[in-house]
Amino acid sequence: MAVFADLDLRAGSDLKALRGLVENAAHLGYSVVAINHVVEFKEKKQEIEKPVAVSELFTTLPMVQGKSRPIKVLTRLTIIVSDPSHCNVLVACTHLDVDLVCITVTEKLPFYFKRPPINVAVDRGVCFELVYSPAIKDSTMRRYTISNALNLMQVCKGKNVIISSAAERPLEIRGPYDVANLGLLFGLSESDAKAAVSTNCRAALLHGETRKTAFGIISTVKKPRPSEADEDSLPACKKAKCEG
Amino acid sequence: MRKVSPTAGGARPAEAPVRRPGGRARGAGGVVSAGTCPTGSRQQEVAATGVQSACARRQMWSALDKMPAPATTYERIVYRNPSEHHYMKVCLEFEDHGVGLNVAQFKQLLISALKDLFGEVAAALPLDVLTYEEKTLSAILRICSSGLVKLWSSLTLLGSYKGKKCAFRVIQVSPFLLALSGNSRELVLD
Repeated sequence: MAVFADLDLRAGSDLKALRGLVENAAHLGYSVVAINHVVEFKEKKQEIEKPVAVSELFTTLPMVQGKSRPIKVLTRLTIIVSDPSHCNVLVACTHLDVDLVCITVTEKLPFYFKRPPINVAVDRGVCFELVYSPAIKDSTMRRYTISNALNLMQVCKGKNVIISSAAERPLEIRGPYDVANLGLLFGLSESDAKAAVSTNCRAALLHGETRKTAFGIISTVKKPRPSEADEDSLPACKKAKCEG
Repeated sequence: MRKVSPTAGGARPAEAPVRRPGGRARGAGGVVSAGTCPTGSRQQEVAATGVQSACARRQMWSALDKMPAPATTYERIVYRNPSEHHYMKVCLEFEDHGVGLNVAQFKQLLISALKDLFGEVAAALPLDVLTYEEKTLSAILRICSSGLVKLWSSLTLLGSYKGKKCAFRVIQVSPFLLALSGNSRELVLD
């Protein structure tokens, strides 16, 4: 079974709060977290803030409760492409080179999801993300979250769905099994709900990694340049080529 | 009250080997001793098998005969219906420490959480607080199995109590109360 992952921790300006958040996530049982930087898309070229370096955040990563490995912290960029209108979602699903499509929960979506672009997205490996921390804060948000989620489930039938918290404070994050139970509320089946916290998250991460590779099979790794003294240690075949 | 085994198809109570009284145990060579010294030819067979001599075996069998057969018998009853109640061990965490609730306020909080998310009908579900510790704000709850998802999700989505931010941490959920007595996550590796 894939490990539990929470792919959306909102990065505030406070490093200490972020540290507390990641420690809390490790204590609750998440093995992988991603720190999310949200950027609004403007027409003119803009400076995207530098993501928080994990090494400066923690000297030793906290251990995941129940496992002997430290938590894995990744970073992630979210771009808001203007208002949630019909055509943007369509474009994002079919053409844009993205891993996740976030479903906004702050307002009732003015359009219904159409089946063809959703199917195209599922085939491409794009996952749909639902966040649950607005549902904790406010009761109107709760209604919007659940109604948007039910809308999505009707069309995509529970495939490729991820649930994550958009937590800014340690108290807004919930344990992985609690989140899987929330998936039941959103209309997922039991196995789909658990996969929404584990398997589908892993699939989205791998999808992100394969974007750098050729068809997900070959990847290039930058090899450190050998110094002058190591000239003699070049592989024999290469040497022969040079001479010949 | 009928004795109920914990899980249908789960561990069976260990059955003591039932020894039929009056029967003779067969030896390793498969030779049954009649109580008297076997005839010469048989003795040779026994010696040929390489096990202990026939006389020693006879002594062993007579000693075993004298032991009383175990009197207890086991009856296995399998209860195939799913469990009626689910038990949850929860802990309430506040942002600032020093907030105290007594049992009545705690139960009121649970019922209001159910009511906020699911309404009056869910708030009327038979929910019991079996134990409550005011110092650590942890409790063991009992809910009927049909209401488990509703209670669990309303606890998950509870954000604040009287304006103070809080979070419910669900530690264990089980259909059996005995399972809540031990928590493998609290074990520490040395």
